[in-house]
Amino acid sequence: MDVLGQDRREGLGRKAESRFVLLLMMLVSVLLLLSSLYSAEASVFRKARENVLDVAAPILSIFAKPIAYVQGVVGDVGDYFNTLEQNQALREENAELRQWMEEALRLRETIAVYERLQNYYAGPEATPIDAFVIGESNDAFSHSMLVNAGSGDGVERGQAVLDDQGLVGRIVDVGVRASRILLLTDVQSRVPVYVEDANLEGILVGRTKANPSISFTASTDPVVFTPGQRVLTSGAGGSLPRGLAIGVIVGAEKGDAVVDLYADYARTRMVRVVNYDFPVFEEAPEQGADEAPAEAAAVDSAASALTPTAPAGGDPFADPDARAAAAALPGEPEGVD
Amino acid sequence: MDKRAEGLSRLAKAAAPTLFGLFAVLLLAAPLRFAYGFVPTPILPLVIVYFWTLYGPSYMPAPSVFAIGLLQDFLTGGPLGLWAAVYLGVQYIVLSQRSYFIGRELSVVWVGFAFAAAGASLILWLVMSLMSGELLPLWGLMFQMFITVAAYPVFSIAFSHLHRRVIVEM
Repeated sequence: MDVLGQDRREGLGRKAESRFVLLLMMLVSVLLLLSSLYSAEASVFRKARENVLDVAAPILSIFAKPIAYVQGVVGDVGDYFNTLEQNQALREENAELRQWMEEALRLRETIAVYERLQNYYAGPEATPIDAFVIGESNDAFSHSMLVNAGSGDGVERGQAVLDDQGLVGRIVDVGVRASRILLLTDVQSRVPVYVEDANLEGILVGRTKANPSISFTASTDPVVFTPGQRVLTSGAGGSLPRGLAIGVIVGAEKGDAVVDLYADYARTRMVRVVNYDFPVFEEAPEQGADEAPAEAAAVDSAASALTPTAPAGGDPFADPDARAAAAALPGEPEGVD
Repeated sequence: MDKRAEGLSRLAKAAAPTLFGLFAVLLLAAPLRFAYGFVPTPILPLVIVYFWTLYGPSYMPAPSVFAIGLLQDFLTGGPLGLWAAVYLGVQYIVLSQRSYFIGRELSVVWVGFAFAAAGASLILWLVMSLMSGELLPLWGLMFQMFITVAAYPVFSIAFSHLHRRVIVEM
């Protein structure tokens, strides 16, 4: 095989005239880099990122379809070889889940009783937005994913993103039809969490490794946790709802707890953006003033309950004669009752 | 009419490496996940920038490299200008060593690419460590660069056929 460029090897005495342009472009990119390091969240950069996201989203969606198809097929072929083990594992899991279901049903009944007993106010319902992963940052240091839902679908910055296993990350950039999720492993990711059964609060910090770690808030109490304890979002700071499952503790490192995430980023295909509305706290009205509006509300609700039933149940205009009579007495419609 | 078609085809050939580069960035952003995410995606734009800077610098001018890097910055969500600076740095190094590498066997050029990838990794690691305020683990980056270097010959052979048969000739 002859070597590319052999014939032109001698003619290389001349300087590249484009050296000046190259240095200029380098200067521009270094300045850009410095300014974006200085103010990473500047609105100009954010706007530009979101616009590029919108432009690239349709192309990435086209790429994502055949990739998902091929991976589905390859995954299926792989499954043929371990059907037996998978069957066994699934059966065991099924048995275990059935026990959990029994417990869940029992708990549901208990909770229903408590709800009847107490003055219980249900929290605001979250209405999830489903989206497909169309891209991700295949980069050693920045860990993010792109999904095909944006502000047009109701996605907003800061919302939590879940997959079928647990928390995936948070929305950081929102275009009109695509948005970016900052994964929990990204070096910029900070999520307030608590450890179940340990009375511990901390911040889950991404370290660019597969397992992020919890750095605990400084306190005089000793930090005691054991591997296997569950980690959930604490909702501190009001950016994420409380109680989203994140993972389990697998070990300790320099006083921090290393967390194995429930979410498996290599398999995340479809995600759910949770647009959770935080409860708005209103000032409690005074005791005396409380009575009147309650009564008014009761009257209102009674009236609204009656209004739709009155024409149907009372049926004053059921027969045509009565209707004619009513038409003849336009001044006093109450008389018909 | 004939002249216009010729002009168009010349334009397409001149723009082809740049378009490959932009396409490679989009491919890099696609969720390919080789071996269930165990094998990182090779950084194909780095190969393209290196290859055409070496064999056809007029097909890969600095503004093209800048555009490729900037698109990658936008899609990865990192600090703007990082990948642009990395690719332009690689281009600068390659241009300064071009007279040595041009006309050598693939294996020599391959070693050159490994050095370029190492240099690029160093810039990336320094900037990202500076940004996060702590020394980041190097393992993931080294593994990805290793995969990229390992994949270089395949792309190099494909691109050299393309460059010789389609872009330069005819």
